[in-house]
Amino acid sequence: MAAADSPSAALRRRDLCSRGIRLAGKMRSDVVDLLDTYVERQGLDASASVAAVEGVPAAAVERWDEQTGTQRLLENLAAYRAFRVLLAQMLEEQREQLGEADAALGRALAGVLLQVSAFAYHLEELLRLESRAPPSEEGSGPPPAPHLGLFERKLRGLGVLRELAQWAVRSARDLRQLAKPSPGSSSAPGMAESP
Amino acid sequence: MFSGWNWVAHGFYLLLNICTFEVSGGLVQSCGHIIPESPVLALGSNFTALCILNESCLDFGNIYANQIIWKIKNKVVPKEQYREINRTVSSVTFNDTSSLATPLTCNILADGQIEQNIYGIAVTIGLPPEKPKNLSCIVHQVSKLTYPMTCTWNPGRHTFLDTHFRLKYRWPQENFPDCIPKDVNNSCTIADVQFFVNLEVWVEAANALGKAESDPLVLDPIEIVKPLPPHNLSVNSGILPTVLKLSWENRISGAVMKLKFNIRYRTIGDTNWMQVPPEDTASPRTSFSVQGLRPYTEYVFSIRCMKEDGVGYWSDWSEEKTGITTEDKPSKGPPIWRIVDASRSPASWTLHLMWKALEPFEANGVILQYEVTVRAKSSLSSPPEKYNVNTTNLTLKLPNGTYEVTVIARNRVGASPPSVLLIPASNSKAPVKNVRTLPKDGKLWVGWTAPSSYVLKYVIEWCLVSNSSDCIIEWQNEPGNVQGTYLKGDIKPFKCYLITVYPLYADGQGSGQSVKAYLQQDRPSKGPTVQTKKVGKAEAVLTWNHLTVDEQNGFIRSYTIFYKTVDGNETAVTVDPSKTEYTLSSLTSDTLYTVRMMAYTDEGGRSGPDFTFTTQKFGKGEIEAIVVPVCLAFLLIVLLGVLFCFNKRDLIKKHIWPIVPDPSKSNIAQWSPQVPAKHNFSSKDQMYPEGSFTDVSVVEIEADDKKSFSEQDLKPFDLLKKEKSTSEGHSSGIGGSSCMSSPRQSVSDSDEGETTQNTSSTVQYSTVVLNGYRDQTPVQVFSRSESTQPLLDSEERSEDHAGGGDSTTQRQQYFKQNGGQDETNTDRPCFERTKQIISANEGDLVGFAQLQISSQSSQPLGLGLEKNTQEAALPDGVQTNTEGQTMRPETVEGNPPSADEMPKSYLPQTVRQGGYMPQ
Repeated sequence: MAAADSPSAALRRRDLCSRGIRLAGKMRSDVVDLLDTYVERQGLDASASVAAVEGVPAAAVERWDEQTGTQRLLENLAAYRAFRVLLAQMLEEQREQLGEADAALGRALAGVLLQVSAFAYHLEELLRLESRAPPSEEGSGPPPAPHLGLFERKLRGLGVLRELAQWAVRSARDLRQLAKPSPGSSSAPGMAESP
Repeated sequence: MFSGWNWVAHGFYLLLNICTFEVSGGLVQSCGHIIPESPVLALGSNFTALCILNESCLDFGNIYANQIIWKIKNKVVPKEQYREINRTVSSVTFNDTSSLATPLTCNILADGQIEQNIYGIAVTIGLPPEKPKNLSCIVHQVSKLTYPMTCTWNPGRHTFLDTHFRLKYRWPQENFPDCIPKDVNNSCTIADVQFFVNLEVWVEAANALGKAESDPLVLDPIEIVKPLPPHNLSVNSGILPTVLKLSWENRISGAVMKLKFNIRYRTIGDTNWMQVPPEDTASPRTSFSVQGLRPYTEYVFSIRCMKEDGVGYWSDWSEEKTGITTEDKPSKGPPIWRIVDASRSPASWTLHLMWKALEPFEANGVILQYEVTVRAKSSLSSPPEKYNVNTTNLTLKLPNGTYEVTVIARNRVGASPPSVLLIPASNSKAPVKNVRTLPKDGKLWVGWTAPSSYVLKYVIEWCLVSNSSDCIIEWQNEPGNVQGTYLKGDIKPFKCYLITVYPLYADGQGSGQSVKAYLQQDRPSKGPTVQTKKVGKAEAVLTWNHLTVDEQNGFIRSYTIFYKTVDGNETAVTVDPSKTEYTLSSLTSDTLYTVRMMAYTDEGGRSGPDFTFTTQKFGKGEIEAIVVPVCLAFLLIVLLGVLFCFNKRDLIKKHIWPIVPDPSKSNIAQWSPQVPAKHNFSSKDQMYPEGSFTDVSVVEIEADDKKSFSEQDLKPFDLLKKEKSTSEGHSSGIGGSSCMSSPRQSVSDSDEGETTQNTSSTVQYSTVVLNGYRDQTPVQVFSRSESTQPLLDSEERSEDHAGGGDSTTQRQQYFKQNGGQDETNTDRPCFERTKQIISANEGDLVGFAQLQISSQSSQPLGLGLEKNTQEAALPDGVQTNTEGQTMRPETVEGNPPSADEMPKSYLPQTVRQGGYMPQ
């Protein structure tokens, strides 16, 4: 916690939160665009309901406002690490399925993957500022993807993207919450910023 | 000789050995090699190469390291740089690689004679890469989701080597593949970057001599974005005529970047942009209402954007869109002025009203019509007259008086405020003073001194003064608080403008004050044509016409007259520009002068054509001063001469026109009884009445000689007559012929007409009387009157009539003169022929000579002489003469006077022989 008390650490934290919020916002925007593209290119129904994807943490949570900053960061980090793996799988599947024919979808997926990765880096940095070493990725990732059929893989991808969009919203709110100057919180005073 | 063949054989053997060795070994192998092989060297560094000989070659060819020669290209490296390391190795060292070149060869001198190449290497010289500097990056948005980042840097000096640059970038937790430039070495573009994460960027340069990295650049790509400009810009007019609403679409997501904007606009035709205050558009938006615009005006709009916090780059300006504000009613009335033409009728005016079309920013729309109201101030009872016109002028015929004219402009929205012009009956108010002009900034400024009383406004009239066109009046209004303005119009340089300033008061108007002005002056386009009006001996009056206003190009400040003689210096005289005449003085007489004239404006002068004139030889009055005295003197001399002649007229007459006695009046003629009387003698008698016949010549001839003279001596005369007749009566210069010629006759011969006249006027003036000597009574008389001495009848008559006491003297002189003539003019033959007469009577010589002259002087006389003896008729030539003249010979010869008259005239003349005695 000592590190968090220094002015530079506070500035760094505020900067990370600020940019994390904006990154979450852009990520959500891009994921929404990607969802449209994905549904179209995969031949899916945009209104199709997808059951919860295994290994994807749910964005919805009870007593969200009671969570501590560290708890929020850890849940976000776990979720985005999982998304990074899932999106990497999707990108590989998409390349296997469509090859280089649909480069736009591949670039969009790669872009979202990069953003997920960048957001995970933000979370790790914030955890370091909280004097918490980020947990090891080993064993925390999603289970190995079961052998699914093509359609199931498409639906799974749809579910991943939808859940990512949800998480983007939640992450922005989490970071905004972290940026708030709260005496109960261990975080330094921050400036609220709306996406 | 032997040693030479030995060398050749040895060399051939060595070459054969080498080839044999290579072939037998199965490989192409040389006798040595160089270390290092194809080195890449830094420019300026030192370098050492080793040439290592193969042991096998030593055995076959006796080749050793001390025989090695190093060469760069074909140039031998100095031996000081060699070092023999051992029997088979030689090194060469270069302190500066800049002296190196490719190839570097190792050669051997076999037996010290034949140089053989052993090995060669290529040397590459260059520089290690410098650290790339000035790395900078920018993210260009190319689509809504694509943000390539382009980084540029300074690659540093040229390395002369193949140098590779790589743009490296990474996130703290993740590396990305390098960006490798294509075709360039100073920039590279990363296809897509992610925002909100710091990116570390640096450049790595590497070649064979080393590697260098730039300083890393850590940045969030969102901070270096140059977004695409907003698009789909639209402009819509609002309810207000001064507002236009802009709408657009942003091409960057709000989630990525919040934007601020710049909006610029201008009117159509204007090149200068105006800008909406940036603080009004510093927040994200997609529309904006631009206010404060002019009604009914077309505007052009453009917009750009950048990150809201100002970090990054402005986008390019968007495409331009136009929009027109709605109309509004005219903001002011049109400026109005008038021209009053009172020349046609003293009691009424022709009033030309004119007003200017409103400027677009004043009209605020399309002016549909003008409403003109004319109200006579003098008769308040009469209603104002209204006119609706579409043009900007109106001509009215009105009686003299004071009027108030109002003009209103009207468009679709409404009417303008009225413009009022008071037209007084006379411009009786105070005028402005000191109207002056000044060209300034390519425009013409007019200034004036305001009158003391309050002026509502001023009207400045001006027109271009030209010979080729009328003065078309232009005008402008100026507020009453100014005392100077620029003329608003197309004022041309080198043209004369007449500018008039009128002050307008609330209750009248002042008279106009005018000034002429030029925006810019130039030299005159031509010079004056000078010519002389009058040229004297030492002066010349020059005259010229003023240049026309179109030729002046400025104010003529002066004229200069240059004049010179053909070989003299030119003299210049400056003349006031108002003059059109000048007198050159102190000129040289009778000299050709060339004169020309220059007209000067402030900008210079131009010369007119040359004109030449010659001064006169004599001055005015000089000729008169000479001629008049000469004439007067001549007249005086003539007068004196006349007076003298008058006084001496008798003397002159005696010398020049001696009075020749008329034989017909002689007494002897009257007396002679043998002269037959003619039937018409009485008429002659009437012409010479008795008593008046006073002047006669008398030749006395001895009576003894009468017969011989009359018969013998007259024969030669007849012969002479015949000769003369055959020679047509002209003096031939032969003997008697010339002797017979009298001076007068000679003159007469030269003029036929005069001869005829003389002949016709011939008067037989002589009477020869043969009488006794002295007091003796004459026994026999031979009388003749055939003298042809020319006589002026009138004079003769007048003399005859006036015959006074001097007649005796005159007669004596006459005879003397005749005698003189005989002596001087008579030729010798003539003299010889007359000897007979001399012998007869010397005293008769004179009379005979006179007779000769008389007979020779006229042919008719000779004929008459013959006819006298034959009693023939008068010659034809005499018949044509006047009656009085023709009668004379007959009077003498054929018509004896009557018995009553004869004694009266005869007596006085018979006094003595050979002379004449006064009666």
